Amino acid sequence: MKRFVLPLFAGILFLILQTTLLSILPIQRIRPDILLIFTLYLTFLFPPILGGILAMFLGYLMDLFSGNALGFYTFSRPLLFFAGYFFKERFYLEGFSSQFLFAFVFGMLEGVLILILLNAVQPVSLGNLYPMLFTFLLPQSFFTGLVTPILFFLFQKASSPLFRQPEQGIKERT
Amino acid sequence: MRIRGLFLFRRYSLPIFIVLLLLFALVLMSLRTKQRKGVELFDALLMEISFPFQKAATLVIKTVQGTFQHYVFLVNLERENRMLKEKIAQLQEENHRMNEIKLANERLRQLLQFREKNSPSMIGAEVIGRDPSFWFKSVMIDKGERDGVKKGMAVISPRGVIGQVLKIAPHYATVLLITDYNSAVDCVVERSRAKAIVEGKGENRCQLKYLLRAEEVAVGDVVITSGLGGNFPKGLMVGEVKKVDKKGHGVFQYAELVPSVDMTRLEEVFVVMEQEPLQPAHPQEEKEKKRKKTKK
Repeated sequence: MKRFVLPLFAGILFLILQTTLLSILPIQRIRPDILLIFTLYLTFLFPPILGGILAMFLGYLMDLFSGNALGFYTFSRPLLFFAGYFFKERFYLEGFSSQFLFAFVFGMLEGVLILILLNAVQPVSLGNLYPMLFTFLLPQSFFTGLVTPILFFLFQKASSPLFRQPEQGIKERT
Repeated sequence: MRIRGLFLFRRYSLPIFIVLLLLFALVLMSLRTKQRKGVELFDALLMEISFPFQKAATLVIKTVQGTFQHYVFLVNLERENRMLKEKIAQLQEENHRMNEIKLANERLRQLLQFREKNSPSMIGAEVIGRDPSFWFKSVMIDKGERDGVKKGMAVISPRGVIGQVLKIAPHYATVLLITDYNSAVDCVVERSRAKAIVEGKGENRCQLKYLLRAEEVAVGDVVITSGLGGNFPKGLMVGEVKKVDKKGHGVFQYAELVPSVDMTRLEEVFVVMEQEPLQPAHPQEEKEKKRKKTKK
């Protein structure tokens, strides 16, 4: 239970930080998505079922905090979690560059997925949003990637009392 | 057969779970589209639980930020500058309103049927958070259903229109900004009275849609609310035309608009509770008419 509730509260805390502290940054384009980094880190901590539910709940909260009335993140976050879970073995995630690439690729993928969903759901043309792929998504994914190694390190330190092997993530510390 | 089925279920339990979870997310999306009551109640409950933390975080951040800005960096200069800017904004708004009242009076006099202009009753609210995603443009405010806020109500500031209430909880609400691609506000160009719909275009920009090619619109024209949508009172400033493009074919022309309010620096806003009829532009005339009526 503790293993589920604490990451949940941590997720809510990161979401609040994202909507308050990070939103006062003078350049909005470089605001890193720390909740995305956290969701990706969950792939190292949790088995797919529990992690999937947690990712979905965090996505739901993200939708609630945003002007997105349809709930795209409720769908995209668990999908991202599962994708991260099944592809994490293919990344060598010890170094800075690989962790950066891991978050950057998934950040870009989620952006494209949101745009596809938006286009699928909206009856009107959303041509205005395409430039945002380069003006917002690219810089944001880049900066999300940049802070990922630091946050992964901090998450690892914070999760070590709870999980014996954070990178495997199944055994709970007794 | 049953054993085989169980074996298959065990073997494919993870893919089945993943599919079910994603299907559940899609069902939730569909429920939100239809705006079912159950989802709204759950949303309101979660908002009610999590927004106080957001409010507390904003308070702490503002206090720390305020300390640095007011006392450490610039002592009183920043405060004075802000006050002066607010004053200018108020005067500008007043000027626009006056201008609009003047134009309205002239028009209505010509038509001999003037009556009302809107003066909304409003409540102040504080911005406690912003959208976590860059795709959508919204802010959270610390006023909700208990304060009389309802879905669709207009949110404005002394500088102009901000947006409308999208989601509500008992004490909090989410406001969809006019810069969001989902937002649409019925407007007119103040000078030429050309009608158009202002739609969000992302980063502090909007576009004028359904603006007829025959209409005269120029860069620098002020765009105001038409009051036709029912949500926004008439005559509120929306923004200034920054780009007009008549190239290409079609019935409509393209125009881009910069909102009068800087959506990235919102702190306090007003929620328009209801639109009351305004005092007549010529109170003396009205009084005389009333007096005559009572004499009769």
